[in-house]
Amino acid sequence: MAGVENSGIQADDDLVYRRICSLLEPLNQKGVKLTRDVDLVADLEVDSVSVLDIVMDIEDYYDISIPVNTISETKTIGQLVDAIHAIKGQQG
Amino acid sequence: MSLFDKFEKNAVLYNSLSAIGKNPFAVVMEEVLGPTRAKIKGRETVLAGTHNYLGQTFEKSAIEAAKAALDREGTGTTGSRFANGTFSGHKKLERDIADFLGLKHCVVFSTGYTANLGAIAGLINPAEDVVLVDADCHACIYDGCALAGAETIRFRHNDPESLDKRLGRLDPKFKGKLVCIEGMYSMYGDIAPVKEFVEVAHRHGAYLLVDEAHSFGVYGKTGKGVSEAEGVMDEIDFYTGTFSKALAAIGGFVASNHPQAEYLRFSSRPYQFTASPSPATIASAGAALKNIKEHPEIAAKLWANANRLHAALTQYGLKLASKPAPVISVLLPTKEDAFAAWNFLLENGVYVNMAIPPGTPGKESLLRLAVSSAHTNEDIDRLVAAYGALAEAFPSAKVTAAAS
Repeated sequence: MAGVENSGIQADDDLVYRRICSLLEPLNQKGVKLTRDVDLVADLEVDSVSVLDIVMDIEDYYDISIPVNTISETKTIGQLVDAIHAIKGQQG
Repeated sequence: MSLFDKFEKNAVLYNSLSAIGKNPFAVVMEEVLGPTRAKIKGRETVLAGTHNYLGQTFEKSAIEAAKAALDREGTGTTGSRFANGTFSGHKKLERDIADFLGLKHCVVFSTGYTANLGAIAGLINPAEDVVLVDADCHACIYDGCALAGAETIRFRHNDPESLDKRLGRLDPKFKGKLVCIEGMYSMYGDIAPVKEFVEVAHRHGAYLLVDEAHSFGVYGKTGKGVSEAEGVMDEIDFYTGTFSKALAAIGGFVASNHPQAEYLRFSSRPYQFTASPSPATIASAGAALKNIKEHPEIAAKLWANANRLHAALTQYGLKLASKPAPVISVLLPTKEDAFAAWNFLLENGVYVNMAIPPGTPGKESLLRLAVSSAHTNEDIDRLVAAYGALAEAFPSAKVTAAAS
């Protein structure tokens, strides 16, 4: 599993990652170590609606809109970070 | 075997609950004894987890109308509305619903679920339109978005400002914008600020669809729903509803003042590719509609029952999800508590619905009591007694539990 420190992503992306991790932490019942490769449903056992709720916090923080369809295509924390980063690039 | 692997986790829970006869998702009504009573596990039980809000399941005129339709037109239409499944009864019911709501057009579907699927997927072109959906909307609205293949954006529940922000930052590439909300939400029994949503949606050039499945016949001065109570029946764009709650049949509809709503008949797959409601179903729905229109005291009785139950449960200190409504939900912190509390009520002769995340709006589980106008004083006495015992046995269900 590649941690954020060696994933080669930009500083701004890093902030998105950290924000998502801080939102996921209260739901991380099993104390899984959060990395970009962690699967939200399989590893963290976070349900789909909780992921949508986290995304809503991200949307309001960055003033962007992230379609439900985009979220349902992401499985790992890294994919979610990348999707948000892409949308920030378009809308921000 | 990999096809079935996905079932494994839930199957363990489902089978273990079934094995001990305590599965809330495998209840059988062994014998129906009336609008609010049935035999479950051999015991006569008060039903407080149905959607029989106006107690129409045994309305005499509806049963007679259904029997006459069976004799006259047979058991089924054997075809879709789009082909051979439209009888004169379907057209008459569409006119009756439109008249009741004071809207110009109505299209009848086979269920409430397909009405929402059909409205959204029929209206939306995924190449150029977008749907904005309240976070707590029912699965059929989300499924409608999925069927449409539409870009779907979720806004915070009952929060017009959250919608305003999301409409404000939409890419100008989108041509059509559809906002979906509900009148009364079925899990907590909370109602939408429809008037504010109308203002926000229309200011941004978006259309507003209000699903009044749970509020039709129940809210508003003449039972038209929350949109009527909010004084905006003429301003909403699409009104969707069901026959399976206040009208105690099965079927659904989309009503609108936009003449183009009629075009759903040839643009909506859930209208075209499923069989239409049977003649008996249409007849009983029509008779129930006539009955509730002529007898506003039925809805008044429902509200009296809801107020009485809400007051009693509040007095017990139970943690309730919202103010008095036809749905009164008690919040519980964990699934385990919910399973145990649900079984406790059933053993005390009361059936309610149990809901657990992610099927609930928050992180809590809930016991959902749905009130009926047909609940007798004796039914309500039994409900109140059972919830009183619940409050004793389950301190986690009480308001004070949250503070500790």
